Amino acid sequence: MEFYPLQQPEEISEREKEDAMGSYLMMFAAVAIGLPLPIINLIASIIYYFINRKKSRFIHFHCLQALLTQIPTTVINWVAVIWAVTIFFTDRTTTEIFWAYVIFAGASTFLYFIFNLIAAFKARQGKMYYFLLFGNLCYQAVYRVKASDNIQSSEPVNKPPF
Amino acid sequence: MGSKMIRDLVILLAIAGALFVGGYFTVREINKTDFELSHQVSIEQEEELGNVLKDVMIDQYKIVEDNMADSAIQAIKTRLVSAIDSTPYRYEIKIIKNEQINAFTMPGGNIYVFSGLIKAADSPEEVASVLAHEIGHAEKRHVVTRLINDMSTTAILGILSGGDPSVVAEILKSIAGNKFNREQEMEADKFALQLLEDSHVPPKALARFFERLNDKDFDYNEDLEILMTHPHNNRRIEQARKYKTRNNFKAEPFNFDWEKVQQSL
Repeated sequence: MEFYPLQQPEEISEREKEDAMGSYLMMFAAVAIGLPLPIINLIASIIYYFINRKKSRFIHFHCLQALLTQIPTTVINWVAVIWAVTIFFTDRTTTEIFWAYVIFAGASTFLYFIFNLIAAFKARQGKMYYFLLFGNLCYQAVYRVKASDNIQSSEPVNKPPF
Repeated sequence: MGSKMIRDLVILLAIAGALFVGGYFTVREINKTDFELSHQVSIEQEEELGNVLKDVMIDQYKIVEDNMADSAIQAIKTRLVSAIDSTPYRYEIKIIKNEQINAFTMPGGNIYVFSGLIKAADSPEEVASVLAHEIGHAEKRHVVTRLINDMSTTAILGILSGGDPSVVAEILKSIAGNKFNREQEMEADKFALQLLEDSHVPPKALARFFERLNDKDFDYNEDLEILMTHPHNNRRIEQARKYKTRNNFKAEPFNFDWEKVQQSL
């Protein structure tokens, strides 16, 4: 398995660093807009990802990581919201399991926010930051040399006239 | 590479599991506070406390005894209590001669129902539903929990050794204040619905009584514990109305001439 070389901080432009950092930071504003329905942040990240992914591998990696890491927290928070609404429209009796889940969702989101800030800080410095599991997945998705890449490089589209 | 991802996944799941378990134990710890509070006073102490308060109640109110209404209430009590699997209390239900529509639970399984409530009830089943709710408060030890929340355990237990009469007055005030919280009311309702079903009394009687009391034209005591002016009450009515009995549930009506029972008060 072959991978493209990682760019070092000094090889990455300021603009790239800012765009990479933005992928993590924009979700904070999006979350505030989306509350109490935790979906706007995910939509915003998807849009941000598709706008920026082709700019560079460094940006692509951070945008993808910011997007993918939001999925579990979004799902966790959605379950909490749906569960709470169901309780509200039924017997309004909460169980210990429900409150345990609310604490779990709150703590997970808080932890995610902390790691998101760290990732944003690292991205601004032009550094890689790998979330557990997702860092690895994103690295492979962005930096692995694909067969199609090799074909493209061995058979260029633009050729000289002779 | 694959094994590293599996390791990461296991770590993430472990963190999620730890957060959930931590949350669960936090909730248990918070809930345990009420449970522990109630257990600062033993059942025996609660019964003693109930006896002290019973004497005060007898002094303060006119208790209706040895008439048709009393017999009817005792029959309802017997039906309800015999349907409870096991109870630490020896329930005593007394009628207080008073036109208020009210009922309340005292420590030690002593329940007082006002004659006004019996007169306002359309059927013995409705009174049974109110008594089942009060038994629910006793079984869940809500009365003791509320007392301990209102005053110290030392002060409460102090009256067992002939303590300050002002504390007795304070305890009575706390009980008359009817300040059960929403969870406690819901818990007592749930207990009541189940107990009514087990006693072959239609659980919908609770909803019927609630609904009639909810009627603005119906004049009832604002302090009535079972239906305080609380926005949550409609939910309670709905819960009682929607309660599903077992398929083989068979109601066994009380054999009272309810009008004569009411007239005896």
